[in-house]
Amino acid sequence: MQRSDDDHAIVVEGLVRTYPGGLTAVDGVDLAVAPGEIYGFLGPNGAGKTTTVRILTTLLRPTAGRALVAGHDVVGDAAGVRRSIGVALQEAALDPLMTGRELLALQGALHGLRRGEAQARGSELLGRVELDDAADRRLGTYSGGMRRRLDLALALVPRPRVLFLDEPTTGLDPASRAALWREVRRLNDDGTTVFLTTQYLEEAEQLADRVGIIARGKIVAEGTPDALKERLGEPTLHVDLCDDGRLEQARGLLERFGAVSDGRAGGLAVRTPDGARAIAPVVRALDDAGIDIETVEVEEPTLDDVFLAVTGQPTSSEDTADVPA
Amino acid sequence: MSSLEVGVQARVVGALAFRALLIQTRKAQLLIPTFLLPMVLFAVVANGASAGSRLRGFPDIGSFVGFIIPGTLVQGTLLAGMTAGIALAGDIEGGFFDRLLTAPVRRVSLVLGRLVGTAVLAIVQASFFLLIAFIAGARYEGGVGGVLLTILLAAITAVGTGGLAAAIALRTGSLSLLQSLFPLVFVLLFTAPAFFPRDLLHPALRAVAEYNPLAYIVEGMRAALHADASLGSTTNGLLAAVALAIGATALSVLAIYRRTATL
Amino acid sequence: MNQLATTAGIGVAMWRRSLLEVVRVRGALFPTILAPAIFMLGTVGQFGRLTNLTGFPTTSYLAWIVPLSCLQAAGFAGGAAGANLARDIEQGWFDRLLTSPVPRPVLLLGPILAAMTRALVPTTAVLALGIVLGAGLPGGIAGVLLLYIAALWFCICASLWGSLLALRSRTQQIGPLIQNGVFVVVFLSTAYTPQVLLHGWLGSLARINPVTQVLRMARQATVEGFPPSWHNTWPGLLALTGMTIVLGGLALRELRRIGR
Repeated sequence: MQRSDDDHAIVVEGLVRTYPGGLTAVDGVDLAVAPGEIYGFLGPNGAGKTTTVRILTTLLRPTAGRALVAGHDVVGDAAGVRRSIGVALQEAALDPLMTGRELLALQGALHGLRRGEAQARGSELLGRVELDDAADRRLGTYSGGMRRRLDLALALVPRPRVLFLDEPTTGLDPASRAALWREVRRLNDDGTTVFLTTQYLEEAEQLADRVGIIARGKIVAEGTPDALKERLGEPTLHVDLCDDGRLEQARGLLERFGAVSDGRAGGLAVRTPDGARAIAPVVRALDDAGIDIETVEVEEPTLDDVFLAVTGQPTSSEDTADVPA
Repeated sequence: MSSLEVGVQARVVGALAFRALLIQTRKAQLLIPTFLLPMVLFAVVANGASAGSRLRGFPDIGSFVGFIIPGTLVQGTLLAGMTAGIALAGDIEGGFFDRLLTAPVRRVSLVLGRLVGTAVLAIVQASFFLLIAFIAGARYEGGVGGVLLTILLAAITAVGTGGLAAAIALRTGSLSLLQSLFPLVFVLLFTAPAFFPRDLLHPALRAVAEYNPLAYIVEGMRAALHADASLGSTTNGLLAAVALAIGATALSVLAIYRRTATL
Repeated sequence: MNQLATTAGIGVAMWRRSLLEVVRVRGALFPTILAPAIFMLGTVGQFGRLTNLTGFPTTSYLAWIVPLSCLQAAGFAGGAAGANLARDIEQGWFDRLLTSPVPRPVLLLGPILAAMTRALVPTTAVLALGIVLGAGLPGGIAGVLLLYIAALWFCICASLWGSLLALRSRTQQIGPLIQNGVFVVVFLSTAYTPQVLLHGWLGSLARINPVTQVLRMARQATVEGFPPSWHNTWPGLLALTGMTIVLGGLALRELRRIGR
């Protein structure tokens, strides 16, 4: 279904940003985010994620191309954009001398709320991000997780239509990360569009309705996580044999199905686009050769594989924490 | 320490000093104040207050500019010291300092590296100022010896002011606090006979000048440059500068130990 | 009308935040009072005898210097506001303000208002100290009022200068350059000696330096034989207006250029 510009929460066309000095950080990016969507923006370091976000939040001007956020042009109607967005940037730029409560009141004032309103809104959000106890302590005393939560609260003060979260869980422990994910889902249920940049593929998989992968300044893949995995990822068959002595023979037999490598715990792993459909032929092939199979498993592709296939780089995050869904 | 270790630490100090100077020359905003500001003040005082040399009580001296240049030199050392402190505070706030701490470098060497860099800067500064004053009409009756002695005094004083600034930077770890505290030291220059002889100072100021090491340093420089013992005592100046340098270095070494002890 | 109320609200909120800095940073206020005071004492102590020269309009060097010290103190406070802005920019806090719907020129209001408020303290302290030490107030209430207007308005100019540099450099280390700029422009004027005793290049510079007129306006407070009059005031007002327009224009231009 073709939407007009007005129907999109974010529209980006041919966006280019070249820094003085020659570096082209964004080299022709097109994307569109529907209202109420969570869009995950993935990419290795230096791919142009942060630059794109800074353009969309009116901190940077594009060298070419155009972008509309909540229907407002980021260059022509920057004020309109700023009225509609909430921003939680990577640096969690907070003032160490102020307390959480004071900062929220200030943010409210910046958005035109009167003193009473600003304070009420602040209290409401403090409760929501579970920072009531620390509300009157100076930000310099907050832990990393607390600062992120306050950052999110600040972004929510104006009840934004579009929320920009730039790597919101980098450096957080699994519990804090899960809490933040819950909050993002809740916000989305209320109708807020979320533009999320992240290094964590798991985060994109868990939260995003659609994912865009950026590398070297261009979008190299876009779609729902499942569609991407299906299109670009390859499932893997894990075969464990009863007799490890016959491993090499089995390897030779399976090579026609796909790339064979050593599997987990001494078995074999075969990457094959046929996935589960290849089980029967594999079993038959080994059976015909008299090789007994202990187990056969299909491992579905992850965004890791997609990422690797598309950017040529392994995922940039070392830890993909086990987080309860 | 064995002689081998001394050698190693000396190289470390040299490398750190080199870096300090490199940063200084690359950041115009650090360089301009240290060279330009004293020159402006010099020019203003030379022009605006030169009539004062006609006042009774002013020593018989060839040129007014020759008289006031030591004041400018000391001002220069204050600024050089402050710059060292700012650079150090910047390193601390920016995290580079932590990197230095994780290297097998003795804490003392970290401090010395910065102070040696400051001393070198002061030598360049002092030479520059003396040259400008010469062009403006100053004459150095003390000859080459006097000039070299004066430059030496400036270098030692810079170690002192740099040490003071470094101590503040290390204790507070805050650039903004340093920038607001240091002017107090700066202002001490005006309680010294920087541009006017001690006898013409307000009596209250004269009393303060008695205890101000900068006063002895300025007068010592004057005496050395003009080979005139009535202007001051070079020996006292040297003593004051050395005492200041040792005291300030000790303070900053203490400060660095205190800072790293709590890490 | 609503827009005005919102702007006022924002200005007030940012003003409060800037003031918090002074109140909450240990010992921040201490040097802002002490430095100008010692400087004044030192200057008078050093150059006090200059009043013996013919051409000096007053016999009290203290009376001559007090307005200068007030101006310097106020200027320093303005410069400090610029340095704080530079820090905010470097640490990313300013980005938060930039993404809010506050019109960008209003973002400068906070630091300026705070600078003026902070300037009040050292200006008053220096004036009080001067009076205690024997400087009179022959200009009366009018004179004192003119002194405050001159000082506080100069503070605004200094904070515009500081903001301009902060926005250009985006680093906290621009602090000294800001303060030096203020220092230099104050010195290349009738700071130490009256115009009639200045000669050569300094004399010419002082003649065209707007600060000379500002000092003239401020000195009506303490220098005897110099009663407050429109004649001695309007050049100062003109100078201040001119500086505000130029520096303000440049600062706004830098603000508009953010992100390019």
